[in-house]
Amino acid sequence: MRVLRLNPIAIALILAVILFVVGGIVQPGFASYGQGMNILRLAAFLGIVAAGQTLVIISGGERIDLSVGAMITLGAILVFRFGDGQNDQALLALALALGVGLLIGAINGLGITVLGIPPLVMTLGMAGVIQGLILVITGGRIEGEAAPALTSLVSGSLIFGIPGVVLLWLLLGGVMWLVLQRTAYGRRLFAVGTNRVTAKLSGVRVPSVLVLTYALSGMLAALGGVVLLGYTEQVFLNLGDPYTLPSVAAVVIGGTLLAGGVGSYFGTMAGALVLTLLTSLLTALELPESARLMVYGATLLLLLSLYGRQKALRQ
Amino acid sequence: MADVSLSAQHLVKRYGGVVALADSSLDVQSGEVVALIGANGSGKSTLGKIITGAVVPDGGRLLLDGEQARFSSPQAARRMGISAVYQELSLVADMTVAENVWLANEPLALGRVRRKERKERTARLLSLFEDALGPSVGPDALVSALSPSDRQIVEILKALSREPRVMILDEATASLGGRQVERLFELVGEWKARGMALIFISHRMEEIFQIADRATVLRSGRTVGAADLKETSEQELVGLMIEGGIAEQRHIAHPGETAGEKTVLLETEDLRSSVLNGVTLQLREGEILGLGGLQGQGQSNLLLTLFGAAPHSGTIRLAGEQVRLSHPRQAMKQGLAFVPGDRGGEGLLPIRSILENLLLPSWSRYGAFLNMRRARNDSEAVSQSLRLKMGSLDHPVNSLSGGNAQKVVLGKWLMRGPKVLLLDDPTKGVDVGAKGEFYKILSDLRERGVAILLHSSDDEELVDLCDRVLVMRDGVVSRQLSGGNLNKSVLVSASVGAASSSSDSAPSGGAA
Amino acid sequence: MSAAWASIGPRLRRVALRQSYAFALLLLVVAVAINYYLQPTFFQPGILSGNLLLFVPLMLVAVGQTVVVIGGGIDLSLGAIVSMANVIFVSLMSQEASPSRILLALAAGFLAGILAGALNGFCVAVLRFQPIVTTFATSFIFAGLALYVLPEPGGVMPPGLVNFFYINPLGLPMVLWVVIILLLLWALLRSTRYGPYLYATGGRDLSAFVSGVPVSSVRFLSYCIAGLMAAAGALALALSTGTGNPIGGTDLMLQSIVAVVLGGTRLSGGQGGVAGSIIGVVILSLIQSIVSFSGAPSSWQTLINGLIVVAALAGPGLVALLGRRRRA
Repeated sequence: MRVLRLNPIAIALILAVILFVVGGIVQPGFASYGQGMNILRLAAFLGIVAAGQTLVIISGGERIDLSVGAMITLGAILVFRFGDGQNDQALLALALALGVGLLIGAINGLGITVLGIPPLVMTLGMAGVIQGLILVITGGRIEGEAAPALTSLVSGSLIFGIPGVVLLWLLLGGVMWLVLQRTAYGRRLFAVGTNRVTAKLSGVRVPSVLVLTYALSGMLAALGGVVLLGYTEQVFLNLGDPYTLPSVAAVVIGGTLLAGGVGSYFGTMAGALVLTLLTSLLTALELPESARLMVYGATLLLLLSLYGRQKALRQ
Repeated sequence: MADVSLSAQHLVKRYGGVVALADSSLDVQSGEVVALIGANGSGKSTLGKIITGAVVPDGGRLLLDGEQARFSSPQAARRMGISAVYQELSLVADMTVAENVWLANEPLALGRVRRKERKERTARLLSLFEDALGPSVGPDALVSALSPSDRQIVEILKALSREPRVMILDEATASLGGRQVERLFELVGEWKARGMALIFISHRMEEIFQIADRATVLRSGRTVGAADLKETSEQELVGLMIEGGIAEQRHIAHPGETAGEKTVLLETEDLRSSVLNGVTLQLREGEILGLGGLQGQGQSNLLLTLFGAAPHSGTIRLAGEQVRLSHPRQAMKQGLAFVPGDRGGEGLLPIRSILENLLLPSWSRYGAFLNMRRARNDSEAVSQSLRLKMGSLDHPVNSLSGGNAQKVVLGKWLMRGPKVLLLDDPTKGVDVGAKGEFYKILSDLRERGVAILLHSSDDEELVDLCDRVLVMRDGVVSRQLSGGNLNKSVLVSASVGAASSSSDSAPSGGAA
Repeated sequence: MSAAWASIGPRLRRVALRQSYAFALLLLVVAVAINYYLQPTFFQPGILSGNLLLFVPLMLVAVGQTVVVIGGGIDLSLGAIVSMANVIFVSLMSQEASPSRILLALAAGFLAGILAGALNGFCVAVLRFQPIVTTFATSFIFAGLALYVLPEPGGVMPPGLVNFFYINPLGLPMVLWVVIILLLLWALLRSTRYGPYLYATGGRDLSAFVSGVPVSSVRFLSYCIAGLMAAAGALALALSTGTGNPIGGTDLMLQSIVAVVLGGTRLSGGQGGVAGSIIGVVILSLIQSIVSFSGAPSSWQTLINGLIVVAALAGPGLVALLGRRRRA
């Protein structure tokens, strides 16, 4: 399987470039700097959310976090409601949102490790609980305001017309690299994902690693929500839903195996870029939504066939 | 049953650099039981797997009824009338006995499974072992609820249900109790009379003499003898099993004297776990204590338990103080180290780099933001001291040969300067040259006062390396060999339970 | 979890595993009791039937999901298949109500469901793609097809069929008949060779393979069955709502997974059954009505509902945890 040896990140980036160029050919103005920045900004939202998902998937066992969508919405609502348009209050609300994300993520982790609930179902169930929490907090009515500092960070441009959120995303990329490659936690995470038994027999406390991973996933999803708020400036109840499964796709396209133990956040970033470009290109082509969806799905399948296959039973 | 004859001729099988079978042959006819015997690692299982179609040989041929046979799968062999009794491999735990026995062979009517008939047939099969099964064993019992010995019987019945002409029992009696073995042998007698040909792979001398007509002896992948059991003695067979063998370079670390003066670093009292039935031992600094005996008698579990990786009761003392080891991390911090038996599955992260593997237990020593330079230097130092042959520290571990991969497993512990080293069959699948280097490393560690507890499936290795050897049987230490008794023939005899004429030192408590 | 299982007597364990829906039954009884206490009129046949009617599509999808899960897989595209089949049924039947037209529509919709399942099955069983991401990808393809066939919600079902669920053959509500037929079909499937093959494949595919079970074919077929059931769910949706809708299958798919797990089937495969999943669906519907009857403020209802579901999911795990504690 020579194709498997090719670096998935390279494939993803090449694909991204191809998509960008094709877009430029088909739709003049698509390949412009401004449009490029816009796409990067959109990709950043998915990318930030997928950071947590990356950690969860690296932990192996085909674990995914299905509560990220709800967490995004919750994060956004907390800042919207409690920040209430004041910058300093918004900062406190941000801390609150991240803390709540951490806590709920930890609950996910505990349910999975201590109670042995399958990750898919636990995170799914918690998503329902989070949605309930959202309704309780907002009482059905969504009041509040996005803090101006947030909006200008996200939508405004800081240097060379690069939106602030993109810089934030790049910063996150650096932080994720540090965490995965330069902390004991990151190393242990890869070990757990590669082989739980070996990890345990080498002194790694596997349940702790998993709980921390889910906690981080929750926190990063909340961060994603806050950032998304800066872009949309409005909150609605299923703000985060369109990001849940695509965050998984972005991670897988980026070369991280669902089986765990292999991957990087840079891959996820490339994956998020590819997915966003694909969506934008399909929109630019002015295809009817039905065709857009079908091409999107078919492209994902194609990517899977390149490096998504599993071992045969016959050894 | 029509007459059948099976002849394996000069079979060869290699796994990477290791030769499992060099030139092995075996013949069996209708109405006879041929025992296939050999020491650990002689290739018996591989030969069995080739005959049953689970493994394809690299050389030689198989003749069934005089015609060449090539089996592409176990199914193919089964269709030709060759059935094997696996060690629980083919059972699905959450299904019933009846469902398992008839899996992929169900009695059908109009496409639907005839459950009543399946249940009756299973009951009939089970009745063959009537008074030898546990109380709750019936066609509708879940396999997960059965004891290992009952499960083994289900495997036997499953093989039998295919009405084979040739049946291979590979260590089938290993998990069976006395009455069950008796009953099995009665049945074997009946099957023989009906014309079945049987191959009985086993270690247990008393059983072999009871049941088999002839014996074929394998040693280091070669057939070294065939004998009629009516005209052979146990001693002769054991002699065939062990005599000669490959001369290997061994750095023998061997005073062999009692090390009574040295401090006891690790001791256990009545250690019990799911497999252990009360193990008491002492391990002294600067000694290599061996764990021997047949496979699966609790050796691996003992090592796991000592490392805090298995639930247990009983006492463990380190340097005189009792410790409670409930996780490997605690054991590690107390200066213990463990090299597991399944290198790829438990000791290494195959797809990750050598560097990562070496550092896995020790990351917390390099700061909150890992000081990679120091980590790299330390790894370089360890790899050099172990003379690790590798491309670079960043290559994945699965690019290394078996011997070098094992050095990585050892290396990750040596970086921490352990006081007690637990090793589970560390040189299995390692080539001769690397083995020699490994022995030197162990002997150096011994000189430095490290206490080493070593389990090996290679009897010669145990004899040459260890100061003392504890022979394990059924989860306890059954004998302790040292000094003049520490030689291969005594060890092999002790392992197979044969009576020994020479006296030996009493085992240190807890013996069966 | 296996350590806890060993500590409960073998007999009890066998009951628990064989009748894996035992815990679900317990939950069901509790849920019914609470519901009755809060709103006795809930159980009048007409009202009960009307409420359960809403859950028939979910029931059908959950049954399909169960088959895939028992075989060791999972299908995240079932919701999209429902949408796709739903619009095919409605748009073909909308025009006229002639029997031949109706039959054509039925055939087309069910065929579409099976083919969709076959695509999933091919990718997972033959090409060995990972189930989660694969079915996620195919869900887009099916969703796109649904939009292609019917860009906007609409269409009308033939008048005769709209009352389908209000017919009471032999005096029993149609919903009950659906459950009975499902259980019968499942019993039939399970009684063929496919039954043991499916459970073996999900339980330990290596053992199944060594024993001669055609593991790939078994998995492929499980996805086809799921697709078929999704189409059935789509039909039920069309019959109960009277119209077609090309979007919104995601909730159904996620709920189906929760129902399957509530019903006692493990996501890792190899055990469980359809009966449990049906009970799981009923439990979900009862939880919803308990929450609404409880008089809790409406903004709190979703949260309470979610917490109860998580608690129910945690049940078996908590039992196992306590079992382990007692043993150690």
